[in-house]
Amino acid sequence: MEVSALRVGLTILIGFGVMMTLAAGMTMVERKFSAALQERHGPNRVGPFGMMQPLADLIKFLFKEQVLPEGANRLVFRLAPAIAAMPAMLTFAAIPFGFLDGQPMVVADINVGVVFVLAVGSLGVYGVILAGWASNSKYSLLGGLRASAQMISYEVSLVLSLVAVVAVSGSLHLSEIVRAQDATWNVFVQPVAALVFLVTMFAETNRHPFDFAECEPELVGGFHTEYAGMQFALFFMGEYIAMAVMAGLMTTLFFGGCDVPFMAIDETPWWAGALAMAAKTGFFLLLFVWVRWTIPRFRYDQLMWLGWKVLLPIGLANLAVTGVALALLGPAVPVTP
Amino acid sequence: MKKLSVAERIFLPTLAHGMAITLRAVFRRRFTRQYPEEPIPTTPATRGQPRLVRKEDGAPACVSCGLCEYACPAYAITIDSQETERWIEREPVRFEIDMLRCILCGFCEEACPKDAIFMSQELEMAGYTREEHVFDLEGLLRPVADFEARMRYVRETNSRWQEAPLAAAAREGNKNLMGAAKEGLVQPGVAERDRTEALEDDEPPAARGRRVR
Repeated sequence: MEVSALRVGLTILIGFGVMMTLAAGMTMVERKFSAALQERHGPNRVGPFGMMQPLADLIKFLFKEQVLPEGANRLVFRLAPAIAAMPAMLTFAAIPFGFLDGQPMVVADINVGVVFVLAVGSLGVYGVILAGWASNSKYSLLGGLRASAQMISYEVSLVLSLVAVVAVSGSLHLSEIVRAQDATWNVFVQPVAALVFLVTMFAETNRHPFDFAECEPELVGGFHTEYAGMQFALFFMGEYIAMAVMAGLMTTLFFGGCDVPFMAIDETPWWAGALAMAAKTGFFLLLFVWVRWTIPRFRYDQLMWLGWKVLLPIGLANLAVTGVALALLGPAVPVTP
Repeated sequence: MKKLSVAERIFLPTLAHGMAITLRAVFRRRFTRQYPEEPIPTTPATRGQPRLVRKEDGAPACVSCGLCEYACPAYAITIDSQETERWIEREPVRFEIDMLRCILCGFCEEACPKDAIFMSQELEMAGYTREEHVFDLEGLLRPVADFEARMRYVRETNSRWQEAPLAAAAREGNKNLMGAAKEGLVQPGVAERDRTEALEDDEPPAARGRRVR
């Protein structure tokens, strides 16, 4: 398992580039696709088809004033956007986006990838709650508190759905989990876990219909009410990268990652695998936007009800059934449906 | 409260239905008008900015009677007149409409006895200074041809309104109004006289044997 330093460096470069481009591209995709869902045109003034819009936005953000609210904690206020964006970018390191010469194309092929993803991913809540607290504003504080309560409640169901997948695949290694899905995707083996993951995915990224951290009618902008300019943009980047990571995880854990249907992973050329991964991740990214413009926001008590009284029991029951099935059918072999 | 079915309680079928509805919208026609490229469609009924009529001989149709200035509720119109050798005797030397005051009500058009001012189809108004929104005589004049559709429309509408009370009177048997019509106090179809003739008023009516009221 010797991997050359050059290859690691290249993967980091590519991964980082993809992340940054994704964050910028997603702002565009979000606006274009949401416009399409509402029979509108979306931004189309800057460049051909408005493709230069993210660039224009970036320039605007860079030249905006960085406002420090009165009574705000300067250090924490300035640090929070970075803390919000960093974990999302770090999580991306563990997600394999293809196989080259039998080796996974991944920044860090960690043997406890699932645990790493969960551990680093949970750090994202700090950025949100610190931003809310440091802003010295009631809206921000409420937004931050809501976000943290929500992310913690849904993390439980998220972990439960992941444990079921890990039990089926017999590994915490993300690239091994992908390999284990060569014959059958986990979504067919663990449909309930996939559903639970799908729902928690939205809650974890604070997206509609669970975007209580920034729910406009109640909290103005929620935790980022007081932020302006590039710091605000950093929150956005963090959100989009977190979305991309969640979509990537969904693909990796349930939809075979870079596995092209009806092709063995080791026989697929690396570019086809990467393309398959990109296509599947792209679909889930579009799903985020699609859901945002379709489903109304839940009430806060409904959110808690859904998290603790619906998803948690379902996740537990699913795990129990998976355990029993594995005990009866033999351990850690991909179960064919 | 109505008991929800299992399908309703787990949301998923309804969610899928909703998602299908929004997805269908992606393939439907976009309703947004791409404004600067796609101009706003106008009809003769469009009440755009008021403009003055330039007759075919090049002179303004305006006789500087001041009725539009008087009718204007926003005091947007300013007219200074002078004597002229033409048969109409008076003509505007200064005719200004302050488009920042104008409320596009169309009262000037209604007041004008000479078909000299009309609400045009021009809707766009943008500029950097107040001064460039004050249109002078030269800025306001447009060839008659531009107003033909609007003239026809206005005439049609006016005749409808003028005949409506008479028609109603006939229907309801209102003797007073009918009588007044008979005595010529109310003239039916007064709007139907050919008002294009009004544009050729530079000649004395007697020369053309035109009925003088």
